[in-house]
Amino acid sequence: ADYLDNGNNKMAIQQADKLLKKHKDLHCAKVLKAIGLQRTGKQDEAYALAQEVAALEPTDDNSLQALTILYREMHRPELVTKLYEAAVKKVPNSEEYHSHLFMAYARVGEYKKMQQAGMALYKIVPKNPYYFWSVMSLIMQSISAQDENLSKTMFLPLAERMVEKMVKEDKIEAEAEVELYYMILERLEKYKEALDVVRGKLGEKLTSELQSRENKCMAMYKKLRRWPECNALSRRLLLKNSDDWQFYITYFDSVFQLIDESWTPPAEEEHCVEGEVHCSVEQAVEFIEERITEESKSSRPLRGPYLAKLELIRRLRHRGCNDGYKLGDPEELMFQYFKKFGDKPCCFTDLKVFVDLLPPSQYTKFIQQLLEVIPLSGAAENEVALPGDIKALQQHLCVVQLSRLLGIYHAMDKKEKLTVVRELMFRYRHGLEFGKSCLKTELQFSDYYCLLAVHLLLDLWLEGEEAAVWQCLTLLEEGLAHSPSNAQFKLLLIRIYCRLGAFEPVAELYSSLDAKHIQHDTIGYLLTRYAESLGHYAAASQSCNFALRFFHSNQKDTSEYIIQAYKYGAFEKIPEFIAFRNRLNSSLHFAQVRTERMLLDLLLEANISTSLEESIKSMSLSPEEDDIPWKDLRDNRDLTVLFNWDPKDRDISEEHRKLSLEEETLWLRIRSLTLRLVSGLPTLSHTVQPKNSEKAAENGISSRIDTIRALLQQLEAAVDSGKKFLEQKIQYPVLGPPPTRMAGFLSSGSCQCQTSLFYLVSDIYELDTNGLEDSAEIQERIGNSFKSLVERLTDLFNKCKGDLIEVRDGTLKTHPNLLENLVFFVETISIALWVSSYCDGVLRPFKSNLQKKKKKKKESSVAMPPVFTHFLDYVTELQTLTSNVIDHIKRLEIFLTALKLEELSLRDTLLLQEEKKFTKTVQGKVQSSYHHSIQEIGELLKKRLDTIKKLKI
Amino acid sequence: MTTLRAFTCDDLFRFNNINLDPLTETYGIPFYLQYLAHWPEYFIVAEAPGGELMGYSECRCSGGNVLMLCVFTVMGKAEGSVAREEWHGHVTALSVAPEFRRLGLAAKLMELLEEISEKKGGFFVDLFVRVSNQVAVNMYKQLGYSVYRTVLEYYSASSGEPDEDAYDMRKALSRDTEKKSVIPLPHPVRPEDIE
Repeated sequence: ADYLDNGNNKMAIQQADKLLKKHKDLHCAKVLKAIGLQRTGKQDEAYALAQEVAALEPTDDNSLQALTILYREMHRPELVTKLYEAAVKKVPNSEEYHSHLFMAYARVGEYKKMQQAGMALYKIVPKNPYYFWSVMSLIMQSISAQDENLSKTMFLPLAERMVEKMVKEDKIEAEAEVELYYMILERLEKYKEALDVVRGKLGEKLTSELQSRENKCMAMYKKLRRWPECNALSRRLLLKNSDDWQFYITYFDSVFQLIDESWTPPAEEEHCVEGEVHCSVEQAVEFIEERITEESKSSRPLRGPYLAKLELIRRLRHRGCNDGYKLGDPEELMFQYFKKFGDKPCCFTDLKVFVDLLPPSQYTKFIQQLLEVIPLSGAAENEVALPGDIKALQQHLCVVQLSRLLGIYHAMDKKEKLTVVRELMFRYRHGLEFGKSCLKTELQFSDYYCLLAVHLLLDLWLEGEEAAVWQCLTLLEEGLAHSPSNAQFKLLLIRIYCRLGAFEPVAELYSSLDAKHIQHDTIGYLLTRYAESLGHYAAASQSCNFALRFFHSNQKDTSEYIIQAYKYGAFEKIPEFIAFRNRLNSSLHFAQVRTERMLLDLLLEANISTSLEESIKSMSLSPEEDDIPWKDLRDNRDLTVLFNWDPKDRDISEEHRKLSLEEETLWLRIRSLTLRLVSGLPTLSHTVQPKNSEKAAENGISSRIDTIRALLQQLEAAVDSGKKFLEQKIQYPVLGPPPTRMAGFLSSGSCQCQTSLFYLVSDIYELDTNGLEDSAEIQERIGNSFKSLVERLTDLFNKCKGDLIEVRDGTLKTHPNLLENLVFFVETISIALWVSSYCDGVLRPFKSNLQKKKKKKKESSVAMPPVFTHFLDYVTELQTLTSNVIDHIKRLEIFLTALKLEELSLRDTLLLQEEKKFTKTVQGKVQSSYHHSIQEIGELLKKRLDTIKKLKI
Repeated sequence: MTTLRAFTCDDLFRFNNINLDPLTETYGIPFYLQYLAHWPEYFIVAEAPGGELMGYSECRCSGGNVLMLCVFTVMGKAEGSVAREEWHGHVTALSVAPEFRRLGLAAKLMELLEEISEKKGGFFVDLFVRVSNQVAVNMYKQLGYSVYRTVLEYYSASSGEPDEDAYDMRKALSRDTEKKSVIPLPHPVRPEDIE
């Protein structure tokens, strides 16, 4: 066993063999040997050996534990349940084995059996946790039940009765048990009963979580629409902590509900069980004013009361009451707020929520008013007044952020915008003084100035100012040099480099973000959207691999902690963990990287290093199987990971998210269908012999072509939906969700080529089954397809022509779409070659048959059917075309190498001397990245060209 | 002005603004689930009115040794460590997003964790911090924590750089009337020597 722990699996196997020679039936040694076999890749032998032991239904601890480990490594947790089922049958009174059995069921989610196992355990050892495991299993049955009625009328009531029994017998011991009781009642919508439990004696056990009882009461009051209690309780909690925002919200909600219900307090007795109730605007106003007065006495300034006042104004305005209550002018209140909290970095975020209260005509005045109270110095004529300390800088930054939010910069013309950019950068560089002692891991105080300047430049770029985007990159690289940990700089650089078609610098930036684990799901899209489409195949492979490794470990990891949650009685976490696991399993990004990874592998390897058939087999791909949960796809992307200060109408909206998910799903469907179609190619060929009888094989193949044809129809439909979607011409905000590759796929003509190729497959199949005789019509159709394919592929190549980087009016312009089209070309030609290789497989036997006939008959009259010439011509044309593209790529390479960027930057008048250094770096990075793309694309294409040579019959 | 609430799995999808900070480690899923399964009440997030996550902190109570990790569970046993006065609250992670710093948020979260640990009858609260993270060390000092010992090369560095030492900082709770738990150790310890 020590050898196994050390990873020396071979020694472990030898030792186990030695032992087995002495003791022939030593189960444990066999299992240890099996583990060794499993770990050295001999899965089949390991499984056989394990089953040999399992069949004997072992009951010794060592064998059971070793088998559990083995099955887990084999990803066969269901076998563990069988193992312990047998064990408890033989040793029916073992607490340990029963508990292992319960956990084994939990791992595979066998809720009904868990319920029974829990009760069985409780009968052997009457410990409360076991009983409640069984109860929890009932809840899980109710959650997983398809039939909601069944869950409400059977599982949950049964769970409720089980707990009630314990309550009656006064056997409730732990807090977790009360939590569970509450959970059942809540799910049964028995809110009144749940409330009674929380408020009653059992509720006294709820102590771990902060304000556990209060929070649960509040939740129930809300469900029961008991507004007086909601109000009184939130009021009381606010008296205790006047900075907790959630209670202000409940307080206001309840006040207005009570007003609408014309609720009046009872004359004599207490307002309600929770105490005094406020049921008028006057009382609410007074209450908030009191909180503000109280706040002024506290040592730590609290933002809550002031923001609550603004919230109250907003709600009153919403109800059409305009300032009848002397709450004050929101403009003035926000000004006061700024004076008090303007030096805190969060001041902007706080005020952002309330800017709607300002009339647009007052925006400029408001900003001016704020600026006037900031202590800035050195304001001679025409000079920028600068902050003297960090606080003043922070205040000023807040005003700049608000200016952007209010759209003041957006309204400026180009010249004004450039002036602001200059000023912001001046302030940025000045602000660095305050951060001289900052560590590498800290941010510079003035970083936001730089970011805001870049946002302005981005606006200019989108308005058509080409040079602005280079200045964006320049300033960001400068910023990053001073503040190497600033994630926002890196993220923005990533987005801009990608937009310009330069992926090389992105890989490094992204890796310096140190994004891991769950972040593969939330921000991985930043990489995977661009790596492959820009021809950085190696990087694309790598980023897909990282993401996949994370997703694959999720299943195992979460199961483990579901079990732990049972053990530790964290019952409310169990459904949460399961939902979390599902959310990851149905992640859009997961489905995308899964699909793209396989397409990429085929693109890089199939028929180059291994045959298409082998590649597909090793991925266990089959055209019939669709493992994407289309209906439940979850968009886990963090689309707001990049900061922006844009006004609401320019910001990323819910609508954008919805559209982006729709677009991603459409694109994923096209990609997944393409993959499945490609995976269907080898199944059509005769060389793949199914194990069954010949007749079955016959049926098998014909149903396979049906599959392919059905998939092709689905692909056509998906493409149509894609086209319709694109007709809407949706423009996401520049920092919002990146658009998919779908537009390029369609406009490049790559889409048409690929669908025609799959139609060709169908025709060739027909020829195959029909034979050469009487197939003139099919042959002609195939011949025409060949011709039109060559034309389409040539068109696609034409869309790749042009210089990737161009110098115009002293600025650089990149053409990333040419790069993307090249990548589409390579992919399409690869599919064309796979199809050709299928075609070759069909024609070759025909040809050798004909030649045999020829020899036999010794006649020269056996004419060669036209399809052979068509195919030969087609392959020759493909070869010529591919060579031409390779030549084109060589020319691009030469051009890129010769491009002198240094001279260019000197001519740019927008830049300061100190910025030039960074501009040079930036342009060099873009140039080098394009070079890299071209090289990878060129190399792959050369490999593809080599495969064409094999196709000549 | 914050909403304090329990951390849920869904928050993992939204914490980038906190976790892209270089000093905040993003752990694997097991890390978070382990704490959520054992001590869900100790995993707290602060949320801004706009719904942005402002920061979170994770703390757990544990006894003196690994076996005692299950102390706050249904089936665990706590007596041993209480007798040895090692029963304590431990801060595993505390992180605040850049925009929400300088608001006393960390102090507030620490107060909360201390309150919970008081309620659970702990003797002290402890935490580990990078020696280089002066901002954090000073903040903890202000909050009444002192360096109990140095743990050598506790934080493994990524590329080529040397591993970093950690301070083990402690604050005595009311149950430790003589403040025995915070008397500094004279010598640094190695990571493998800490329980």
